[in-house]
Amino acid sequence: MRFSRAILVAIAIIAIVSGVIVFKHVFTSGFTGSGRVVLRGAGATFLQPQLEAWIEAFMEEHKNIVIEYSGIGSGAGQKQFFKGLVDFCGSDPPLSRSRWEEYRGRVLQLPVILGALAVVYNIPEIPRDIHLNLTGRVLALIYLGEIRFWDDPRILELNPALADKLPHKEIIAVHRSDSSGSTQIFTTFLHKAAPDIWPKKLVGKVVDWPVDKVGNGVGAKGNAGVTATVVNTEYSIGYVELSYAIKNNLQVAAIMNREGYFTLPTVESIQSAAMYALKAGILPSKPDGDFSRELEAIVYAGGKNSYPITAFSHIFVWKSYDDVEKARAIKRFLEWLYNNDSKYIVEGYVPLPVEVKKLWMEAVKMIEG
Amino acid sequence: MTNTPREDRLFFYTLLPFASIVIAIFIALFVSLIENSIPVILREGLSFLTSNVWIACEDNPSLEFYGILAPVVGTIVTSVTALTLALPLSIALALVVLEYTPVKIRSLLSCLIDVMAGLPTVIYGLWGLFVLAPILRDYVMYSLYRYLWLVPLFSIEPTTPTTVFTASIVLAVMIIPFMTRLIIEAYNLIPIKYREAALALGFTKFEYVRTMLSLARPAIIAASLLGWGRAAGETVAVAMTIGNSFTVGLSLFSPGYTISSLIANQFPNAEFYYYMYSALYGAGLVLLVIGLTVNSIAVVILARWRRIVHGD
Amino acid sequence: MEIDGRMVLDKVFTLLVILLALLAFTPILWILGSVFVNGVKAFTREGLSVLFKTPSSPLSSSLGGIGPALLGTLILIVLTTIIGLPVAFFTAVLATEYPHTLLARIVNVLVRSLLGLPTILVGMLVYTLIVIPMGRFSAIAGAIALAIILLPYTYTYVENALNTIPRDYREAAYSIGLTKAGALLRVFIGIARRGIVAGILVGLSRACGETAPLLFTIGGSSRIYFTGLDQPIDAIPLLVYRYALTPYENYHALAWCGALVLTLIYLAIFLTARIVVRGVEVD
Repeated sequence: MRFSRAILVAIAIIAIVSGVIVFKHVFTSGFTGSGRVVLRGAGATFLQPQLEAWIEAFMEEHKNIVIEYSGIGSGAGQKQFFKGLVDFCGSDPPLSRSRWEEYRGRVLQLPVILGALAVVYNIPEIPRDIHLNLTGRVLALIYLGEIRFWDDPRILELNPALADKLPHKEIIAVHRSDSSGSTQIFTTFLHKAAPDIWPKKLVGKVVDWPVDKVGNGVGAKGNAGVTATVVNTEYSIGYVELSYAIKNNLQVAAIMNREGYFTLPTVESIQSAAMYALKAGILPSKPDGDFSRELEAIVYAGGKNSYPITAFSHIFVWKSYDDVEKARAIKRFLEWLYNNDSKYIVEGYVPLPVEVKKLWMEAVKMIEG
Repeated sequence: MTNTPREDRLFFYTLLPFASIVIAIFIALFVSLIENSIPVILREGLSFLTSNVWIACEDNPSLEFYGILAPVVGTIVTSVTALTLALPLSIALALVVLEYTPVKIRSLLSCLIDVMAGLPTVIYGLWGLFVLAPILRDYVMYSLYRYLWLVPLFSIEPTTPTTVFTASIVLAVMIIPFMTRLIIEAYNLIPIKYREAALALGFTKFEYVRTMLSLARPAIIAASLLGWGRAAGETVAVAMTIGNSFTVGLSLFSPGYTISSLIANQFPNAEFYYYMYSALYGAGLVLLVIGLTVNSIAVVILARWRRIVHGD
Repeated sequence: MEIDGRMVLDKVFTLLVILLALLAFTPILWILGSVFVNGVKAFTREGLSVLFKTPSSPLSSSLGGIGPALLGTLILIVLTTIIGLPVAFFTAVLATEYPHTLLARIVNVLVRSLLGLPTILVGMLVYTLIVIPMGRFSAIAGAIALAIILLPYTYTYVENALNTIPRDYREAAYSIGLTKAGALLRVFIGIARRGIVAGILVGLSRACGETAPLLFTIGGSSRIYFTGLDQPIDAIPLLVYRYALTPYENYHALAWCGALVLTLIYLAIFLTARIVVRGVEVD
């Protein structure tokens, strides 16, 4: 009798406390849905640090709009977007030709930022001021499971300065476990740099990694997951967006570009790759156009200063939304972005040239509401 | 029901919707699992289970091919290893609680075991990832590899902290309290007359305990099956510690996948592809069959054993 | 002194058992210890506000907090009770009051076999049946998934409580002309109420910490506390899983903080259930 009354009291207290918290946050700060517009987005983790920085700055100025972004990978993000589970999505690669046809005229693709995949490694023997040199072919051989040790002659050949430092340790090749735009960019690079050993069927957001089959591959979720795994695993190698490498102080490899120069991912080398790609005229003039050739053009681009694993990252929005408030909020965000994007650039990203940014204002005109 | 009063029959009908919800859940589960896995089974047949590939292609569905050999093997290897480690430890822990602890501490100890049996598994995963994994790699896995590398299980040099071995240990730690509790419950069910008989014979503690354990053997087998089922079905604690890689092999020191960690990793993007959703449902079906079979066998063994020891 | 083989064997056995038990028991203390130590660290860094604030950005010096996840977990607990309790309770009533009907037998077997169902399958099922048709992740979908987890636990306790009502009470109730429904309402619930309360609590203690059923159902969020039951929310287990897999030190701290808070919520529910159950035994 006494006990069950105590239980009732305890439950009542829990209910009241949670009620108060709900009240405090739901009503007093106005999260009722009527006063505030909530935009939900999901997708690439490649652009997440940059997007979050913009969103935070944007929300400071627009108290009635809340933007939520969850980094779940480009594949899952696109899926949720097309299922209507989220209002916009982030994706590194543009829509493939077939998907673009499927949603033609309804979906708008906007390149928002330039970024680069850094090839990162964790080899304690290598001093931080020396960068490991790698080529697309050697990376392909590593992810094929054919180069298994760090002191393989094919790696030593590229790194005469490190000849006595590279240990006889097995290489752990870290890759994404989710459906990821970063993986698509990385494998596109491997295919373009070494088409004879890295076939087209190993290019995509999800790849059947040959290195897994020999027991030296590790999968991790998101750019953050790959970063964490490389940090925790000695003698591992992985690919992450440059900002993750910088923030977490990872060792970054210099990659041989199309012209045969070893380049590090820097603002200049990323811009150089973008300039070469844009000169090829690969971007359509309207956001509802076909962007599907863009990735092919920017990865392994020409130019002796170009970093070879550079890419645009995109957000996708609908041309019309059922909820006009959402359409207006998205337009507000894009306008704000047009004027403010370069003020809040996170280290490891490069703002878009003005001619590409014009697409955003085109989109603002096209979105209905 | 023919002889029951009208009011009682009415009451039965008012309860009906609630009971039908339970049945509906099961029908929905089976229908959705079977229906959704048909495409992949029709397309790939048995090679869905026997091949180790995971080819997704967003432009060309005809290139897609999914084989879940690695996750199936991973599920079996992790759960069997976990059970092998957990069983002797659980029996020992149960015995200590029951026979070697003063009454005052006993209830505290058994309460603590109950608490751990229900502790959220994500906490086991968190501890496994941050606390256990680095220690396991640096101390346990390296020494096993150094001295026992001839044994196929330990033949690969451990390089990552997240491996099949790590996940197995986390699972073992997770099912120990669960199995200990089941063994304690079973032990307590042994009728007092057997205990008295054993004590009257002047048995030493060892002989007494051995007799009790042999009486409880079916219950211990059932507890093992239930613990095994729990280990095989666990998701997050494994996904956090196994390394998520399509490796098939006998070595415990390489990363791997289990069925449920595969689903946790791939399901969010599955519908982006044409057959992956179906492939994951197929994997889920395998998991369901394993889970329900093991569980039902255990329940039957337990029920039969209760009837025998109580002689009714 | 005579050396008795039996006694030596006995001693060796005792030693072995105690050693193995220590080995089995160490991780229990180790886990609780590391959750406590690391969780408290987060509280000393941020104070109690860690319970209310939203997570900070990665690598910033402050932690922010687990506010949306904590609120989400509390909401899910309430919702899960509302959805799961009636089903578990009335199903148990059916099983005990009409034990010889085919339906009761089927239901009894099915509910119990839910205990052996891998919880990730519940997440897949709810995703397919509720999230896709609704067109969004939602608190409701998460609560339905958790209610399925809660069902077998609560059912077992309630059924047990109703079954152990002494025969005399049953006969007395029926002899004064009460129908089954009347007897249940006026007599049985009163007698079995501790068992019923314990059943809910034990079910909730299991459901509140589940992660797998939430992975594909509630969506998660970090800036938004709550915008409606049909909208995505966050939960502590999901936050712990998500943040543990990032490389950021402040997110790891939040994951530990979440683990501590989750453990405390779980302990509060679980220990209350224990007290209630003990009450049943004393009665």
